Amino acid sequence: MNSNKGLLSSGLSMVMRNKRYIFWFWLLNLTLAEFGTAAFRRSAHAILDHSFLSDKLMHSFDIGVIVGLLQRPEFGQMDSMTMPALYFGFLFFLFTAIFLPGVFAGYASTYRLPREDFFRACGRNLWRFIRIMIIAGIVMGIFAGILFNLNGVIVKKATERTNEVLPFELRMIGFTVIFLIMTTLRIWFDLAEADTVLNDQRAVRKSIAAAFKHTFRDLARLLTPYVASTLVAVFFLLGGISIWMNLVRPDSIIGAFVIAQITLFLLLIPRFWQRGIAVSYWQQRMLVPVVAAQAAETTPVAAPPAPVVPTPDPVPVTSGSPSPSEETH
Amino acid sequence: MTTRWKIALVAVIVLGVAAFVTRKTVTAAPQAAAPAKTAEAPSMPSGTVSIPDTTLAINSSTPMSQRIVHYEIDAKYNAAKHTIDANEVLTYHNLTGQALDHFPFHLYQNAFQPNATWVREAKRDGSRDTEYDHWDPKEYGSEEITSVEVVGQGDLTKNLQYISPDDGNKDDRTVVDLKLAKPIAPNAFVQFKIAFHEQMPETQARSGWKRDFLLGGQWFPKVGVFWHGAWNCHEYHATTEFFADFGVYDVKLTVPQNEVIGASGIEVSDVNNPDGTKTVTYHGDDIHDFAWTVSPRYKIKEATYQSQMGPIKLRFMMQPAHWDQVDRHEKITRDTLDRFEKWYGPYPYKTLTVVDPEPDSASEGMEYPTFITGGTSWFMPQGLGFPEVVVEHEFGHQYWYGMVATNEFEDAWMDEGINSYTEVKVLDSILGKNTSMINWARMTLGEREEQQFGYASVADRDAMAQNAFDYYNSNSYGGITYGKTASVLLTLEGIIGEDTMAKAMHTYFMKYRFTHPTKEDFLKTIEEVSGKDVRWYFNQAVYGSPVLDYEVSQAESYPLNWYEEKKDKKEPKKGDKDDTVYQTYVALRRKTDFVMPVDVEIKFDNGEKIREHWDGQSRWTRFSYQKKAKVISAEIDPDHTIQLDRNDFNNSRVVEPNPKPTYKLSTYWLFVTQWVSQAMAWWAV
Repeated sequence: MNSNKGLLSSGLSMVMRNKRYIFWFWLLNLTLAEFGTAAFRRSAHAILDHSFLSDKLMHSFDIGVIVGLLQRPEFGQMDSMTMPALYFGFLFFLFTAIFLPGVFAGYASTYRLPREDFFRACGRNLWRFIRIMIIAGIVMGIFAGILFNLNGVIVKKATERTNEVLPFELRMIGFTVIFLIMTTLRIWFDLAEADTVLNDQRAVRKSIAAAFKHTFRDLARLLTPYVASTLVAVFFLLGGISIWMNLVRPDSIIGAFVIAQITLFLLLIPRFWQRGIAVSYWQQRMLVPVVAAQAAETTPVAAPPAPVVPTPDPVPVTSGSPSPSEETH
Repeated sequence: MTTRWKIALVAVIVLGVAAFVTRKTVTAAPQAAAPAKTAEAPSMPSGTVSIPDTTLAINSSTPMSQRIVHYEIDAKYNAAKHTIDANEVLTYHNLTGQALDHFPFHLYQNAFQPNATWVREAKRDGSRDTEYDHWDPKEYGSEEITSVEVVGQGDLTKNLQYISPDDGNKDDRTVVDLKLAKPIAPNAFVQFKIAFHEQMPETQARSGWKRDFLLGGQWFPKVGVFWHGAWNCHEYHATTEFFADFGVYDVKLTVPQNEVIGASGIEVSDVNNPDGTKTVTYHGDDIHDFAWTVSPRYKIKEATYQSQMGPIKLRFMMQPAHWDQVDRHEKITRDTLDRFEKWYGPYPYKTLTVVDPEPDSASEGMEYPTFITGGTSWFMPQGLGFPEVVVEHEFGHQYWYGMVATNEFEDAWMDEGINSYTEVKVLDSILGKNTSMINWARMTLGEREEQQFGYASVADRDAMAQNAFDYYNSNSYGGITYGKTASVLLTLEGIIGEDTMAKAMHTYFMKYRFTHPTKEDFLKTIEEVSGKDVRWYFNQAVYGSPVLDYEVSQAESYPLNWYEEKKDKKEPKKGDKDDTVYQTYVALRRKTDFVMPVDVEIKFDNGEKIREHWDGQSRWTRFSYQKKAKVISAEIDPDHTIQLDRNDFNNSRVVEPNPKPTYKLSTYWLFVTQWVSQAMAWWAV
């Protein structure tokens, strides 16, 4: 067991051992987005390709040309551009939900998880994940609704004051608080997802309950690496955009594409890192090392079905041992 | 007595003497000069009444306008209640050539009542700042004349009657008409003594209060303009602003001592009162409105600009959070003054106050004589030119509204539109043609582009030459009045020449400053200066609403011997001499109703360029060539002078497609799409 390892480093090592997942998710992300932007591309080609005016776009990000383009009736309504992008974005989210159990299984595995085991974990946990997602959606939606409204009320109140910067400052403070609370909720459901997969828990309510207990018991320990990994994501995003703006020539399409995709690839890492942290925590705290029952002079019973995912240090399990998720520490 | 009191007292005495010395005394004209039908007893007392011919506030030794009004206002502002109680003495010189038996007055602040025309229109069509999803009692404004006496005729308060000349809205009280007991003879003077009480609203547009700030604009009973044989005094509409006669303003403002105050004209005294208030007196010459502002938090910078006529005191009243932008405000003010004086004519006033108003106060971007409001926020990187655009635009109104005082109710394009045109010219000159609005983070936007797409979205909605309150909605008003006018005048440069247009603008300003020119005055000036008959253009662009859209609909070449078998015929390699003769067709289409002659430039792959001219009378035309070269592109308006074309994309056609711009845009869009997808997945699963 890696109980002495920091969650950040153990989570990161899981990500590094399984880089292929990030690659596949990036490819999925890119492919779906390609479909999502096809309508935009098609419309833009029809207007820009034969016009001198479009040359202005090559020297800078000429807002006048872009607004002119969007105003053209033949370009179509903006909705017809954004909706496909959103649909395919939603599809990416669905695929993430489908394949995530395999990722959890892979992270928990000490060896390269075979493809069939990956997909088995995905299939086995699909319905469980949908249930968790629905519950998470409700809980996070309620919290988000309350918090954003509260923030809005505070900011509106602040606009009555004569300090012009105060509303902005309060909004930022509010966003920070909302981020921390929503991240806490995300940790809760990440742990629930990890427990569901790694403990092969059919009753997701038990995973959710256990994850809830652990989240708030070890909040500081969990929140710190989650926040740290989010800051890494912010760093990747700002760094990528900064490089794009400062080092890539305005007329370099390949340069822009490469930098954009590297940035997006890197942006996937922090979230997978967080999932690695969740798996690592699960292994350290939620997986109960079961004390082997004393050998009884009885006829040995057959071992129960092995967990879907081999743990790093498999513990012998005997019949009648309590479910790890029901254990308390 | 404190030193401040002594200084104030001395200042009052000095100014009083100066006013007395420079005051031109005019005796009321004998009634005999009036037309027979109004030959009644003189309406003025036998004493002397006149409009002062002071020049304290201008860099000129003689008055610059024909002064018709003299307002003397003594106002007290209650900052806690946002109310104003004032006494106003209006002296009016009847230069209309006929007897006047009634006088309409604007009561602008009555616009901010739920059933007033202003609010109805703003709710129906939207306004620049307020949507009126719900009515907030703080938004209520009122302006009530508590008494009015006409000197020599007694108290005529009972003769006041609200009128609604534009829409018949009985609930609109923004114009009140005063029926006199006796008519005022031509060339006679009349003096009104008006007491009024005003509840300033929380700002919804232009004037009012916000937090501890107040913009006192359109705040006092103001007489209409007798114009073209009748009173011109429109109701206050959501899209309209001003029209008033020139004159002299002497205004005393009593406000709490902690307030920092600024106003039109020059400050002549500042006296602290024992009750914790102070009285600041302002004087304005040759202006037609008076505005003021107070806030306890303004930070002030003062500077001097040496104009063609003398020094101008620049005063910047900044919000504390914007203090780091004061130099930006000063720079754009100086640069703009420089261009306007060089190109159009001198700025004659001794002061210019640039107010950075309270954030979210809906009073940003306003113009009053010698007094303008800007608009910025605490986060405004250098490359975002929004403060510069606003300050330049509002300063421009010192010329197109302030001095060339057109009827903004009826011809808004002559003040907002001509001003938008000069805004493009000035900002192009100061900040660059393609970067005058945004030049930040590799994004660029020029002011002329902004004007063009403001117009393009509403191109066929309305004509320029129509009442400002008769537009389809506020978007149409904005797009046509500002954007179309700017585009029309920029396109006109291509027709008569940029230099000629500059000369015409200078002539127009110098000829019509301190008057109320009409649209024909402006259009005829252009025709006279250019020596060209451009009526065909004005009829379409100014008086009509046809849309201009030309297109290169075809540009292609094919071998003349296309029908011959290609046996043994090799495709010529690059660099090989190609003896093939090609048939080339270039077709142009006029897609809409606006007829305009255009040039087209056709380029061939041997480097040859041909320019053709098309009068645009038919719906399309086609040019054909037989050359040992293939067409590579055709472009309408190759000098890019036709700003009025609604769609610039189809003005050119490149035979070989260039997909790079699309790829570039797609890369951005792809990035956004992927990032949003990832963000969605980050939180949801």
